[in-house]
Amino acid sequence: MTVDLVVTGVGVVDPAAGFDYKVELGKRGYKYLPSASQYLLAATKRAVADAGDALATVPEESRAAAVGTNCAASALHAQMDRTVIDADANDLSPATAPYFSINLFGSRLATEHALKGFNLTVTSPRVAGLEAVQAGGRSIALGRAGWLVAGAAEEALDPAEPGADTAETGAVAIVFEPAAAVAARGGRVLGRCVVRTAFLAPTGLTPDLVAGVIGPVRAWAGDVPVRAVVDSSPVGEALAAAFGPDTTVVRAGAGCLRPMAEVAAVLAAGERALVVTAAAQGNVAFALVTPGGN
Amino acid sequence: MTVLITGLGVLSCLGAGTDKFWAGMRAARSAPGRAADPHANMAHPLMYSVPAADVPSGPAALGGSPLGQASRYALAAAAEAVADAGLGQVADPTRVAVVVGTGMGDSGMHEQWHLDGAPEGEWSPVFSPAASIGGWFGAAGSNTSISNACAASGFGLSVAADLINSGEADVVIAGGAEAYSRVALGCFNRLGAIDAERCRPFDRHRGGTVFGEGAAIMVLESAEHAAARGATAYAALAGAGWSCDAYHSTAPEPTGEQIVRAMYQAFDDAGVKPADIGAVVPHGTGTQLNDVVESGSLAQVLGGAGLSMAQVPLYSLKGLIGHTGGAAGALAALAGALIVSNREVPPSVALGEQDPECPVLLPTQAVPLEGSAVLVNAYAFGGNNVSLVLQEVES
Repeated sequence: MTVDLVVTGVGVVDPAAGFDYKVELGKRGYKYLPSASQYLLAATKRAVADAGDALATVPEESRAAAVGTNCAASALHAQMDRTVIDADANDLSPATAPYFSINLFGSRLATEHALKGFNLTVTSPRVAGLEAVQAGGRSIALGRAGWLVAGAAEEALDPAEPGADTAETGAVAIVFEPAAAVAARGGRVLGRCVVRTAFLAPTGLTPDLVAGVIGPVRAWAGDVPVRAVVDSSPVGEALAAAFGPDTTVVRAGAGCLRPMAEVAAVLAAGERALVVTAAAQGNVAFALVTPGGN
Repeated sequence: MTVLITGLGVLSCLGAGTDKFWAGMRAARSAPGRAADPHANMAHPLMYSVPAADVPSGPAALGGSPLGQASRYALAAAAEAVADAGLGQVADPTRVAVVVGTGMGDSGMHEQWHLDGAPEGEWSPVFSPAASIGGWFGAAGSNTSISNACAASGFGLSVAADLINSGEADVVIAGGAEAYSRVALGCFNRLGAIDAERCRPFDRHRGGTVFGEGAAIMVLESAEHAAARGATAYAALAGAGWSCDAYHSTAPEPTGEQIVRAMYQAFDDAGVKPADIGAVVPHGTGTQLNDVVESGSLAQVLGGAGLSMAQVPLYSLKGLIGHTGGAAGALAALAGALIVSNREVPPSVALGEQDPECPVLLPTQAVPLEGSAVLVNAYAFGGNNVSLVLQEVES
């Protein structure tokens, strides 16, 4: 049950660098989409183009998406809730009402690109983006589809939420295809990204547990530079410490976007690396990124 | 590899525990009530809520992170499932994974903060029920929250089986959890999708769905792992099928083409034929189009095998406990496991008048399960479809 999946396209949207949905997506049909959906659609559009716009050669039932998000709905839900509390549900916008459901933020991908294989939404704290790569890739290996866009999208937290000052915003999308299919069409390979996930219970964070989880990962990844996207929680600090003093620590934000952005950066930089991340709740993920290919 | 269901835990409007759940299924009586929320300013603030006496009082936090009601529901159901499975202490926690499907996670806690003020501190993620179970049990394998709306835990159970089939885990504590959310109920009111009376799937006069609260958590494990510790199983999670309509954000694709594909995929995965299906626990929400499309899709699948709709009974769980959102697929699977193990299809809550566009068989008396397998369907906003096949385990 293994398929050699390779990265053929990457799209990154950082609204801090400027973002206009009309320029990225078109003037009509996107105005009432929440911004996280706009970012994800734009990142995917860039990734598909980066992959050589070969999607038309893939049957619709072989196309799939896996999307990670933690906070895409936070500000919108808070706004909706205050409307219900202060007025009435009838005052909610019918255009955005379906977005009470977090998977709607990624669902437009399916209609936009005819992704009929599956459209999975994962929401595990901080690791959801990397988990999208893992769960999506596993499903490709199981034969549920043959083309995958895995992504992460976030929007700033509601300002009243704890941690709002660390909020993330933007999207990353990565196109994965079986190496054999890419070779057959003469496509370009940007690299590989393989993800493992685990859990370090915050209440039982013993050295033995950390070693039991990290040891096999170190053996699997080999001697590669490590970039740890972590916060100051006991789990985050334990994870970073377990990889040694040479680990590059990247301050984690509220969401699952930063680890995926690190993967995209490693693919662009051209040097093999292990991107690791952790949430205070215990979720941990490891992405072994190997740039280059054909 | 065979994936077995060796432990069950459940919380719903029927109360806490598998015994109460099965007794409630057999009694086929329930009614929604007004949500216990004075701020639910909407036309139909109806819910099938967990009875107050069965609402877990804690924990308020785990590992320093605050927990909302969905996490507490998940923990209560997980504790029952783990005890039921006799799982106890495991030798290698890295071989134990957790997968929980939830549409709203602990949104209710964050909504309460809009009234009371949010606490100071670090980011508090909404989708934490899976992490709560992992932290409580000490499971060190993959820990995944899946949020494909009303199909979340259907996909979650399938992912749990994938983890075992791929060799990544021996045991997965898996299921779904959903608690009251003012935002979700308000938005469904705004969409005109709430029935003012009750949840009555396949009824001619249905007016939408009615939400329910609950959690269903199961212990899944490889047959080898179960055999090594002498565990018995309710059923095997024998197969799964996934698809996506890629059609509309909220409406199902009217021909049901992808729904049918998911069912066939699940049959293939399980190695069963439509004729092996002794009962169906449908998605059946009570929304107009869903029930018609699902009925038509079932007719297509069963008819394609030379069966009539009158031969295969449906068990309409949502008519009893409401639409439990992201937990619905897991509650349906848990009901399916009980149907398989008890060899009985309980009565569905009686309809006023069945919709002639939904010519499904809904027995109002218990009937014996004919066939070795039960089909469970779960569909969602975004056109997400998942079908599961639960199969009898040969002793």
